[in-house]
Amino acid sequence: MKRVRIGVVGRMIGVLIVLGIAVFPIYWMFTTALTSDADLFAPEPRWFPDFGQFYVFVDALAEGPTLTWLANSTIVAIGTTVFSIGLGIPLAYALSRFSFKGKVAVGLLLLMTQMLPEALMVVPLFSLYRRFELLDSLAGLILANTAFVLPIVALVLKGAIDGIPKELEEAGRVDGARPLAVLLRINVPIILPSIAAAAVIAFFHAWNEYVFAVTFIFNKSLQPASVGLAGFIGEQGTAIQTIMAVAFMFTLPAVAFYLFAQKYVVSGMTAGAVKG
Amino acid sequence: MATHTFRRSRLGGIALLAVAGLTLSACSTGGSSDSAEGGEIEPATITFAASTFGDPGLGPRLQELVDEYNASQDIVTIEPAAVPFPTFGQTVLTQMGGGEGPDLVRFDMPEFTSAADAGLLEPLDDKIDADELGLQEGPDQYMFVNDERYGVIFDTSNYVMYYNTDLIPEPPTTFDEFMDVAKATTQGDVYGLAFRQTQAEENGVWQDIFNYVYGFGGEWSDGEELTLNNPKNVEGLEAYQSLYDANVIPKGADAATFRKMFAQNKVGMELNNGGYLVATRGTNPDLNFSVAPIPFPVRAQGAIMAPIVINANSEHKDAAMDFINWVLEAENQTSLQEALGASSVATKTTRSDEQLAETPFLPVYDELTNSSSPQIVVGFGPQTADIRKIVVTQVISALQGQQTMEEALDNAQDEAEQIVG
Repeated sequence: MKRVRIGVVGRMIGVLIVLGIAVFPIYWMFTTALTSDADLFAPEPRWFPDFGQFYVFVDALAEGPTLTWLANSTIVAIGTTVFSIGLGIPLAYALSRFSFKGKVAVGLLLLMTQMLPEALMVVPLFSLYRRFELLDSLAGLILANTAFVLPIVALVLKGAIDGIPKELEEAGRVDGARPLAVLLRINVPIILPSIAAAAVIAFFHAWNEYVFAVTFIFNKSLQPASVGLAGFIGEQGTAIQTIMAVAFMFTLPAVAFYLFAQKYVVSGMTAGAVKG
Repeated sequence: MATHTFRRSRLGGIALLAVAGLTLSACSTGGSSDSAEGGEIEPATITFAASTFGDPGLGPRLQELVDEYNASQDIVTIEPAAVPFPTFGQTVLTQMGGGEGPDLVRFDMPEFTSAADAGLLEPLDDKIDADELGLQEGPDQYMFVNDERYGVIFDTSNYVMYYNTDLIPEPPTTFDEFMDVAKATTQGDVYGLAFRQTQAEENGVWQDIFNYVYGFGGEWSDGEELTLNNPKNVEGLEAYQSLYDANVIPKGADAATFRKMFAQNKVGMELNNGGYLVATRGTNPDLNFSVAPIPFPVRAQGAIMAPIVINANSEHKDAAMDFINWVLEAENQTSLQEALGASSVATKTTRSDEQLAETPFLPVYDELTNSSSPQIVVGFGPQTADIRKIVVTQVISALQGQQTMEEALDNAQDEAEQIVG
């Protein structure tokens, strides 16, 4: 009994440490935003926020286009997630279930795209975008992010589909299901946890993306938050508290999306366990 | 220093090749000017990109100047382009190389020379009469690339030594005193000095070490050949390293952090340019500080020279030129200089009595104009960004004890020679 208790306490401590490592940077951003200039470089760091400084958040929201940036980031991130999952599922299914010439090459090609840094892609993409009039639009940004994240989404989903017994699909076909119905009604519900995980990857990639956004968007009102945040860094001076306040607000929607997606990851696992 | 010294040379580095490639593609799509030759300017809204727009101190002042121009007429409207400072040069060059980009740009010198050499800028020879406008010859000589004018000085800022007068009542006048004062001031959470020393701030490190190289009698080139491992350069950078090793700086702190520290009485001295005056006052109006010439053996220091240029892709070149002409008017030059604080502008202006009363040490900046140089490798302007990367990487490696400073500069010389051929 005592051993069990020690084990539980040990696990709790372990969880708290991991939680602390994950949450502390966000807490520190919040605390720094609410710290005066004088306290910022005091001999002893200020561990708790000074709520008398809360005007930093109010000013950041009232004076700057922070809400517009966040709205743009949300549109780009959700758009990228929807498109990459929507295109990734059939691509993954094709790679997993069908035999065709060059299948191995396609898989390798997908892997290779992940080895190219964004900075290398930005110049040729810029030229293409200019030709197709996709510059300075959120749709263009969604397309670029989707292209960049689609291979990894497809590979994640392919791995999940590979794990589904083919007998399940055959049973569906015996019952008269067409290929699309087999994919949507049999495979998709089973790989829901993987779809949620892939959605998190796509969302976070688009949410944090900077290089395409700063190069392809000229109009201030279309900037996402990743670019807007960098705009606070000046040549001679940087508003540290304002950056931290906006950065804190920048993390919240991403955390909210993760919590939302995590529910599906867990429910998918549970559903599998019960049915299995 | 010879005028028009930038020689045409092979483009170096992947980035510049890419930019050149994009330029060709941009050229194929063509571009047009908004007004007929000699005709009136058509109404237009044009964009002006300057990294200083994002600066908490300078940004609002610059915006006021732009607003003043917009209010002065109703044909051209200038809008600041949204390009953040950390990736300013890279972003604007990519956009311009791709046939787009802001109509007007305030560039730093390395990017200016690269852009001009790659044909991304509108030549201004027939649009600017330096004698008539009374442009200051010293900085204006750097506005030419391959014997063609591509820009006009927007602002230029000489490097000086800023010191906190509460911590350091008397400024040092020699390097030994500089070291002693830095050591004596470093106590507890207060540091005697601050400078950039990480690869993440490559451009900033380059700006900082420039003062040590030139202040000890060195130079990056003789105009024809690279002289990165010149013994004087080694001496200057060993002095820089000795300060690093003496633990008188907040190691690891970036410029944003240690500049805030300076404004909060936590740093005693800093070598910086005139633009820092406004930023520091904006951060802490009550800070007691002054400036003095950099106390190194030779009176030679860097200067931030920032030309204003017209994008060759702009469809509103006449409108862009109208803004440049407006800025160059005597009255507006004075307004710009007042907005910039301690920086100088394209023409000679007189500091007002109010300015001098508010900042009695302003003449210190002005007196250094003739001994200041832009932070480019003379004769290798378009390749400065590539040479900068090599030098900074090697110098930081020496700071970290992986090699001596002499070895670092020898390696930098070898690597850079391969680039410039």
